[in-house]
Amino acid sequence: MKFSDEMLMAYADGELDLVARAEIEEAMAEDPEIARVVERHRALAARVQSAYRGVLEEPVPAKLASLAAEPVTAPVIDLASRRAARAETRAPASRWRLPQWSALAASVALGAMVGALLMRGESPPYEETAAGLVARGELDAALTRQLAGSLGTGKSRVGFSFRHHDGAYCRTFHLQQEAPLAGLACRRDDQWKLEVLAAAAPHQGELQPAAAMPMAVLQAVDAAIEGEPFDAAAEIAARDAGWQQPGNVAE
Amino acid sequence: MSTPTPVDEVRAQLGELLPRLRRFARVITRNVQDADDLVQAAVEKALSRAAQWRPDSRLDNWMFGIMKNAWIDEIRARRRRERVHAPEEAGSAVGDASAEARDIALSVQAAMARLPEEQRLAVALVLIEGLSYKEAAETLGIPIGTLTSRLARGRQALQALLGGTGEAG
Repeated sequence: MKFSDEMLMAYADGELDLVARAEIEEAMAEDPEIARVVERHRALAARVQSAYRGVLEEPVPAKLASLAAEPVTAPVIDLASRRAARAETRAPASRWRLPQWSALAASVALGAMVGALLMRGESPPYEETAAGLVARGELDAALTRQLAGSLGTGKSRVGFSFRHHDGAYCRTFHLQQEAPLAGLACRRDDQWKLEVLAAAAPHQGELQPAAAMPMAVLQAVDAAIEGEPFDAAAEIAARDAGWQQPGNVAE
Repeated sequence: MSTPTPVDEVRAQLGELLPRLRRFARVITRNVQDADDLVQAAVEKALSRAAQWRPDSRLDNWMFGIMKNAWIDEIRARRRRERVHAPEEAGSAVGDASAEARDIALSVQAAMARLPEEQRLAVALVLIEGLSYKEAAETLGIPIGTLTSRLARGRQALQALLGGTGEAG
């Protein structure tokens, strides 16, 4: 045979240039054996291809999906250490690279975001108080009134609601802004206290599924949740009771 | 904050790539659990080294290279620990298919599992992931001639293992 097996393989894989291709095609027309070898290469490639096609149809495990949807070194904003850290660091924005991302760096980022909002004249969605980070403005309103899964009109989206082990009502949320955030807020002392805040995947469509919550938020939920997330009726009941803990209303 | 960091860009593309990364991992590890562990390790590595990825290059090929290296490291570590290879777990990747198609897929996976590592990598990148010879050679860090001969030998071995049942005519 005039052509090596490797050459015919490369032809079958579409790797040859125009001239070599034309030569082989000419030879194939004259010699059925050459055509058969090429066909065998193509058939094998197709079989190998289709043997693994099923993997593409499998659902991607949540563990992997969440990894690709959030910073891997979890810039969880540790709200306690944040205050302590804030005075120390003022890293320039260009240095925010993943290896350096830590609770410390993230807290600086958070400060910068709040600052940016202030400069644009928007009211920041949260404020640092003596009791910790507390929802304000639109986020506060959404957490108080918006039902889970509804789209609302602003940047805040409530994910789902549940009871904390300690009895407080808690809700997950997304803040859809230039640097999207997601977090967990719990109703304490008539305020929504932000217990976890983490960088979130950018908003992809109209509906942000709960699965897009950063791992840090989901872990905080796992640690805090008593029972199951609320269904619609339980959520409406809690909202209409002003998110007051049952038996705790008088105080 | 307006310019996305390399990490943001890599992450934004990774989500869509995950099914293909899982497939590639399944081919080279031959085991569902190892495969997903490998994808996880590779994604973590990629995010931590995102600054090294050139945005004008293909992220999938870059990821395949990271996965290849991570898997080779893992194999060496296992050999050092003298651990037995995890049992091959064919058949998990055939998806919805007729019994006949499933049998064919299983036999191909079993044949692939018997290829030497280097041939399986070449076959996985070119025949399954559709990389060009040049891209596959770059991903594996080998000359294109080496890639071509590994691919040819891998194919011959598959052909021998599978017999002529896939032949048309």
